[in-house]
Amino acid sequence: MILDKTAARKLTDRVCKLATAKDVVVGLAGGRTANTRFANNEITSCGDVSNVRVSVAVAFGQKRGSTATNQLDDASLRAAVAEAEEMARLSPDDPEHMPPLPPQKIAEVKARDPKMAAGAAFDAAANQKGVEACLGPSLEKKLVAAGFFESADRFQAVANSAGAFAYHAATAASFSTTVRTADGTGSGWAEATSWKLGDVDAPAVARRAVEKSERSVQPRRLDPGRYTVVLEPEAVAGLVGMVRFGLRAREADEGRSYLSKPGGGNRVGEKLFSDKVTILSDPGDARIPGQPFDGEGLALKPTTWIEKGVVKELIYGRYWAQKQGREPTGAPANIIMLGGSATLQDMIKSTDKGILVTRFWYIRSVDPRTLLVTGITRDGTFWIEKGEVTHPVNNFRFNDSPASLFANAEALSAPVRTSSGLAVPAVKAHSFNMASISVAV
Amino acid sequence: MPDHRSLCDGAVDTAKKKGASYADVRFHRWRRRSVRTREDHVTGIGSSQEMGFGIRVLKNGAWGFAASSILTKDEVDRAAVRAVAMAEANARSVRRPVVLAPVPAYDDVWQTPIVKDPFKVPLKSMVDLLLAVNAEALKVRGAKFCSSSVEAMNEWKYFVSSEGSHIEQEITRIAPSYEVTAVDTAGGDFAQRAHDVSGMPRQAGYELVENARLVEDARRVAEEAVEKLKAPSVTPGKRTLILDPSHLWLTIHESVGHPTELDRALGYEANFAGTSFATPEKLGRLQYGSPLCTIYADRTTPGALATCGYDDDGVRTGQWDLIRKGLFIGYQTTRDQAAWIRETASRGCSYAEDFGSFPFQRMPNVSLMPGDKDLSTDDVIAATDDGIYIQGNASYSIDQQRYNFQFSGRFFWEVKGGKKVRALRDVGYQSNTVEFWNSLDLVGGRRSWALGGSMNDGKGEPSQSNAVSHGCPTSRFRNVNVINTNTRGKKS
Repeated sequence: MILDKTAARKLTDRVCKLATAKDVVVGLAGGRTANTRFANNEITSCGDVSNVRVSVAVAFGQKRGSTATNQLDDASLRAAVAEAEEMARLSPDDPEHMPPLPPQKIAEVKARDPKMAAGAAFDAAANQKGVEACLGPSLEKKLVAAGFFESADRFQAVANSAGAFAYHAATAASFSTTVRTADGTGSGWAEATSWKLGDVDAPAVARRAVEKSERSVQPRRLDPGRYTVVLEPEAVAGLVGMVRFGLRAREADEGRSYLSKPGGGNRVGEKLFSDKVTILSDPGDARIPGQPFDGEGLALKPTTWIEKGVVKELIYGRYWAQKQGREPTGAPANIIMLGGSATLQDMIKSTDKGILVTRFWYIRSVDPRTLLVTGITRDGTFWIEKGEVTHPVNNFRFNDSPASLFANAEALSAPVRTSSGLAVPAVKAHSFNMASISVAV
Repeated sequence: MPDHRSLCDGAVDTAKKKGASYADVRFHRWRRRSVRTREDHVTGIGSSQEMGFGIRVLKNGAWGFAASSILTKDEVDRAAVRAVAMAEANARSVRRPVVLAPVPAYDDVWQTPIVKDPFKVPLKSMVDLLLAVNAEALKVRGAKFCSSSVEAMNEWKYFVSSEGSHIEQEITRIAPSYEVTAVDTAGGDFAQRAHDVSGMPRQAGYELVENARLVEDARRVAEEAVEKLKAPSVTPGKRTLILDPSHLWLTIHESVGHPTELDRALGYEANFAGTSFATPEKLGRLQYGSPLCTIYADRTTPGALATCGYDDDGVRTGQWDLIRKGLFIGYQTTRDQAAWIRETASRGCSYAEDFGSFPFQRMPNVSLMPGDKDLSTDDVIAATDDGIYIQGNASYSIDQQRYNFQFSGRFFWEVKGGKKVRALRDVGYQSNTVEFWNSLDLVGGRRSWALGGSMNDGKGEPSQSNAVSHGCPTSRFRNVNVINTNTRGKKS
């Protein structure tokens, strides 16, 4: 269920008035999502779900408590507020509690597609027709398609007892498909995602996955080792996502992060990556608009975290920022890795010997001291020789650090929006550690 | 709470009137309560309650599903109509119509047996316990940080089907956890050690927390964090591994639990989690593990996270073997999957995370049977001349067909001459599922058997969480490829 700005304000006012505590923060999150799932060339399940969640955080001095409910009747809201207040009264002081923020100047972000707001992508018959059209190429070529189409129309709001109020509405649409050959020796994946339904060209996504699937059949054996890699944006996104976790200031200052400095403090100001690497956040970015405020209602501003390989800024929550005498940044609204002028084709052309990676799977941290992570290549891994993609190769388990990858980066493309909600480029880098063979397809 | 029985019955009637050949309605409520601390203070006390209903219908052999948090007759009827419309539309893309395995109608209740309701335990006693853990841990020189928490979860659901079932269930789970960090500021190094209970949430009341020896163990856990910080780095190579239940449960989960999900094996998860090497033609033929390896699925194990009376298809739960004496013989199934492998009944593995989630096949508790001799962990260590004993779970990753995996733990002991001689660090191991389970050469007994588990096993699109446990004894594996994960100072 979508609440517009006026209805959201009315609801947050209702909840604030129920509280006796001086400090009250009310959060709303809700909307409608619909999905159609398919596998083995047929639709298998679907969903159409509405929900609104109200969260309440209260404090008496430094004593605080919080609750949440998705029932909006008076009795349920009153009970939620009463429970939060009871917990706060029973709680010991929390020295990290921060009082509610004063009203913030929050830039409005355009992130709601009028067509989706009007109900497009929530029509079951239209969605079935769209999915069926994407199954066509697989059925014709006797390939096996699985995939997922999802649409969402959501809103978030935060209000507090100091008079602050923030509201944001956003739509999202995504279509992904994995196409496998009937003999199970080939697999290709592709996806498109945007806040605008019109940007999601599902038939084009299906064609890309079919092409990758057919090209990846009968991979040849390639030994583990260090290779030059050309990583498509989806593969890069998985690794950039791990860097994001390492940007928290408190962990760095406390000596338990990749960005902790031996002897104390953090590594802001140090050049840790190739000068090709710049990572920033900007809720107003048109490719990947983000919610312009955090869960406390703090305005999120454009922030450059890494600039030309130098760590420029870390993530500061309000408590840690105050303790360190700084302005809080809040958590990133989105992550954008700036790119270069190369195209994916340029990167392949400039590679004498290397591996083209479509995407990674099951990426997990191995050593937070070095940002070492492990994961698996999947759904299209190819050998490059003398500037051309020559044949498919087996998948690999890699063990490497995004820090090393970015230190070894040689070329970047323009960034694109990926499935994980990051905008990142394709990256060519040398010496990437493919640790062992995965025979999985 | 609204009159869920009449609302459910009304929704089923509406769906049937609209032409549904089958319908079920699930009212589903989650309650959560948590206390979190770090060092000498509380960082969060909170609770939540979320409730709604989901209606699932079959028409013309296709599923439709709609859900809402608004608990009124009008909304329930609207959702029923919408679900039928979705099924009608989707039926145009169904090439093999859904067939449900038969199930009796039940009118029943089931609930987790608990001693102390964690939603009624005074907050002060929860806070005092956690702060006592932190204080005890931080007495150890070199231990710099300690974070601790307790989370209680209560899942209530009421299921009604057009075949006559009315089933009410209430599941209570609890998850205590703490972790100590030792820091060498001058050297820019740090190490963490979590109490093993952190990976072992259970279906239980607050008595689990009180009996977990959290405070009593805090010094040891902190000392091990400090010891780990200074420990020598492992020498890589083929090694014998002794895996504690606090670690092995996750290896079972990834390398046996997921590969034996029938929907994965048949391509229904291909776009997300992947498929499985354990395909149906291997049933009764694949030597998955050594003859010591019997692994069973069970949704009735007391205290295990996926235990319940009935699954979300309304099927009564049970126990069955997946691997018997090393031979692959069974799958996890739901009502709409049983016919795919010519079985006549569902194994009862349907689950939906919440009211807004479509029920599909989720993992039951999957456990390794203890050995015939009742060996303790110390007995397994004493029987080993040269090896590494691993406790707790940390990094874990496995490929999309469940062949190649890499795992790490929380604490590593070098074993020489049947004794733990010193701590090690930077230990990881890589293997292939079938090779690994065939290298199992010693299985502990009931004395060393324990349940580990996760509250957040992800699967499906949109992704859903499932709570699942894995019981196992301390067990030994030969010739496993151990890697050194420390790349500090190494140049790429």
